[in-house]
Amino acid sequence: MLLTRESSGERWRIRPDGPGKVTGELAYLTDMAAPGMLHGMVLRSSYPHARIVAVSTEKAKTMPGVRAVLTCADVPGLNRFGIAHPDHPVFCEDRVRFIGDAIAAVAADTALQAAEALKRIEVEYEPLPIVDDPEAALLEGAPQLHEQGNVQHRNDYRHGDPEAGFAACAHIVEETYATPRQMHTYMETEGGLFIPERNGRLTVYSPTQHAFMDRMQLARILDRPEADIRVVSSPIGGSFGGKDELNVQPYGALLALATGKPVKLHNSRWESVRAGLKRHPMKIRMKTGTDAGGKLLAHRVSIVSDAGPYSTLSAEVLNFSVEHALGPYRFGAAEVKSVCVFTNNGMSGEFRGFGGNQAVFAMEGQLDRLAEKLGMDPWELRRINLRKPDDPGPLGQPISATDGVRQVWEALGESRLWRERERARSANAGRRAEVGAGAKEADATSTGGGPAAVEPPPWIKTGYGAAFVMHGAGLGVGIPDPAGGRLRLAQDGRIEAVFGYEEFGQGLIASLEQMLIEQYGFAADDLRIVIGDSDVVPNSGSSTASRSTSMMWQSLRRLRAPFKGKLRAEAARLLGRPAESVKPLAGGVRDAGTGELLLTYAELASRAEEEIAAETSFFYPTSPVDRVGSHFMYSYSSVAVKAEVNTLTGRVRLLDQFHAVAAGPVVNPQGYLGQIEGGSGMALGFTITEDAVMDRGVYLTRNLDTYLVPTIAELRGACEVLPIEELPEGDEHGPRGIGELGSVGLAPAIAQAIFEAVGKRVAKLPVDPQLLQERVGFG
Amino acid sequence: MAMSQEELLRSPAVWQPRSPEEAASMKTAFGPDAVYAAGSTLLRTQWEAGTATMPRHLIDLGRVAGLKGITEDGAETVIGPMTTLTECRTSERLAESAPILVEAVKAIAGWSVRNLATLGGNVVFRVGDSVPALIALNASLEWLEGSRRVRTSAEEWAAAPSSASRLLTSIRIPGGEAGARANAKRFCAYHKVGRREAFTPSLVTIAIQGTREEDGISSIRIAAGGGQTTPVRMTRAEELLLGGRPDANLLQAVYEAVLEQYEPKTDPFAADLYRKQTAANLVAAALWTQFRDSASKG
Repeated sequence: MLLTRESSGERWRIRPDGPGKVTGELAYLTDMAAPGMLHGMVLRSSYPHARIVAVSTEKAKTMPGVRAVLTCADVPGLNRFGIAHPDHPVFCEDRVRFIGDAIAAVAADTALQAAEALKRIEVEYEPLPIVDDPEAALLEGAPQLHEQGNVQHRNDYRHGDPEAGFAACAHIVEETYATPRQMHTYMETEGGLFIPERNGRLTVYSPTQHAFMDRMQLARILDRPEADIRVVSSPIGGSFGGKDELNVQPYGALLALATGKPVKLHNSRWESVRAGLKRHPMKIRMKTGTDAGGKLLAHRVSIVSDAGPYSTLSAEVLNFSVEHALGPYRFGAAEVKSVCVFTNNGMSGEFRGFGGNQAVFAMEGQLDRLAEKLGMDPWELRRINLRKPDDPGPLGQPISATDGVRQVWEALGESRLWRERERARSANAGRRAEVGAGAKEADATSTGGGPAAVEPPPWIKTGYGAAFVMHGAGLGVGIPDPAGGRLRLAQDGRIEAVFGYEEFGQGLIASLEQMLIEQYGFAADDLRIVIGDSDVVPNSGSSTASRSTSMMWQSLRRLRAPFKGKLRAEAARLLGRPAESVKPLAGGVRDAGTGELLLTYAELASRAEEEIAAETSFFYPTSPVDRVGSHFMYSYSSVAVKAEVNTLTGRVRLLDQFHAVAAGPVVNPQGYLGQIEGGSGMALGFTITEDAVMDRGVYLTRNLDTYLVPTIAELRGACEVLPIEELPEGDEHGPRGIGELGSVGLAPAIAQAIFEAVGKRVAKLPVDPQLLQERVGFG
Repeated sequence: MAMSQEELLRSPAVWQPRSPEEAASMKTAFGPDAVYAAGSTLLRTQWEAGTATMPRHLIDLGRVAGLKGITEDGAETVIGPMTTLTECRTSERLAESAPILVEAVKAIAGWSVRNLATLGGNVVFRVGDSVPALIALNASLEWLEGSRRVRTSAEEWAAAPSSASRLLTSIRIPGGEAGARANAKRFCAYHKVGRREAFTPSLVTIAIQGTREEDGISSIRIAAGGGQTTPVRMTRAEELLLGGRPDANLLQAVYEAVLEQYEPKTDPFAADLYRKQTAANLVAAALWTQFRDSASKG
């Protein structure tokens, strides 16, 4: 059954943080202010690549209202950050490597004074040659950006003998795919409030996906114990991976400690574009071949990824791309070579989909091209080559077995949209047979989703496409991936669910509340969700990699018996009744038979002998192999679209879409639909409008008037989501992640729809309208 | 240095004249230190982008009498330059007399911007999306230059704006072509193509208005612009069409004429050739849509 508000019935709940967000009443961390607070700003490099000859802050320090001007000399600890590979300078010492590089930071009484002081910081640069092309950066003689050279990371994979495989192929396609430098474009730009407390501690109010990681990194920079830092990290006005890494936090923390006063920083959109992370632009070459029947015999992949100047999670993203460039298919032989390259372009980093978006666009494009050569339906070609439930994962590793592949493959074929395609194809075939006989256009082929079947003008061409996605969740083998949480009955009688996850709009609070209501029988009023504060929450790992909901579900499953058992036992003791005769449910402990309320949670809390609480900690499940980053849990999706090309302008419109998702039970229907629809909107931007264009290391799209995210006008048309909840008997893993899945499959599906519409292959995103433009003809 | 700091901290002085004459005399007095402000939606994006600095004096036209509203003057529709885009968009009178202007206004920026931005502001921007429509409509512009009233056509002004300091006082749209016969039917089209469907800068904008009679097209004006390209008339295409019936062959010739005559300015987001082909395609397709029956017979 399609997932809609109606089909969800009572499970469709108003999310607890919804009203505050819709009315604007909710204060984000960057809306906060403190009495006497200073305003911080960062001086960023004037050049994409230059030697710093000298920095003088003397004049800036004498400016009115200026309380501190800091440079690399003022960093007490490690002058670097980076989640996995700390090589990003907090302040550059002798060299800048991109136009977002920080050289100094100022705190002043007003933002205007801080801005004026930045202009008075004198930096003498000696410009260096710019490395703006990852492939050129690999050539001999290219300027080297780091001691290790320009190679950030390589990752190769091989099984079987691809050469022999290709020799046996009846059909081979080769293509080079290119993907854009997409921006997360969260509504809330990076920022925060940094408060030096009287007791010597530092409180950091700044959005991040993993408060404990920020705390660790800040402790390293400030040379202080982690315990001296408190990170308050939620609520967040969107992140999509873009705020997992540190951004303004080092500057806010250093300025606050240097001045002894609260400091606020909040990036303008311009600064956010300049300094913030983007999706890795990748160039992916693929050569793929089949036998005469369509069986995949050989697959060769080469990936070049543009890291920008520093590492952050570039290596991990590349590893993910390697795995997903193989996808759900079984090849006779396969070889992947990949390299991530340092350049003087903007910083690339974590972004929803994590390197899968680029790889799947290429992989699915290969299948569509092969199907054309074979004269076979593209969806049928996929069926022939899809993995079976017990097959190993893409890198040969054992994975959690589900029937998701078959389920989403079949669901697509049965969807309204795909049946419409079948009717349109047979109508077209019929019309071709009747050429000259004055055949009228069949209704099914000419509707643009609207009710009236008006024959479109000759320059409007429509087509259908589909893509398959198998997306890994969790951080993968070899990367610490802790999980866990705590339940406790607080003194005021509220049941607190305490987790180290973050709410950045995905609906995590709503999902947690819904699970506690549905699985534990509590009422919403019984609950208090506590997240986003490193002083209070356990380290549940990062809210990333489609893992949070799975891990909350696992935690609650583990906590259920101990926590409810303790509530029950203590209530029974207080009531002087046998434990079996009482049950902790909505509003308090009730008679197990009649449901009568015996003891409210407030009464229980006040009378309990000791605090009632339970805690669990464990790790995200991984595959028992030693290949770093390979995944154990996967979600599956098939995506079908109908798209339209206007050949006058070459512009593409998405008319209709269908997503089948096999990821276990739906924890929160509204959140589920939101993730798939929202991910799809992001994928549409990746496909048709979004690219942070750079020229010689400088952004040409510096604001949202030239960097164009889709609007409601692009997102017209139906978006059907079919969740497939069934899991194999005995499955212990529960709901799989869906946070990224929706952002992956749309691009290749649209590319195939374009091909069906106008017969042209798109290999570079966003789609260039000029490629699809045709001279109008009325012959 | 202290001076510059003070300057930065000082917001511009905002003046609120009550008549066009008073506004013009303020502008004369302050010279280049003063900027007229209508809706200020464009000004603030320019200040933010650093493509213009905030002036010392802003002359707010919001209180100037007689600059707002849509009225009739004989056959002409008269639009006050301070009329907001939203007001233009919802005007029944404009929907009747200048439908392509309404179409143009709908395609400018987003809802919140259109509530503030004015038609006059879009016109004096010169590359605003209303300008091709006004050229196709053969609109004229009335200005106050010093104490002198000056009238120019929208087309003349777009081609060569006066270097003299002027205040736009009205936008006038003629009602019906002089000498047109009673059975002449008006046709018109407006298309804007950007890099997305809404709230987007234009890459190519075309506007067409004409009349058709029994024996073919009796009048036609075609304007093309978009991006940083100043809108211009596609006179060669007009000449080909005048007196003719747009069949397939004529439309091909019109396509070629636009392709040849339209000279767009380029930017990193779309190639010159793409803009030319888009303009030519849109003009030919718009005419095909209007004359679909005769075109398909041709």
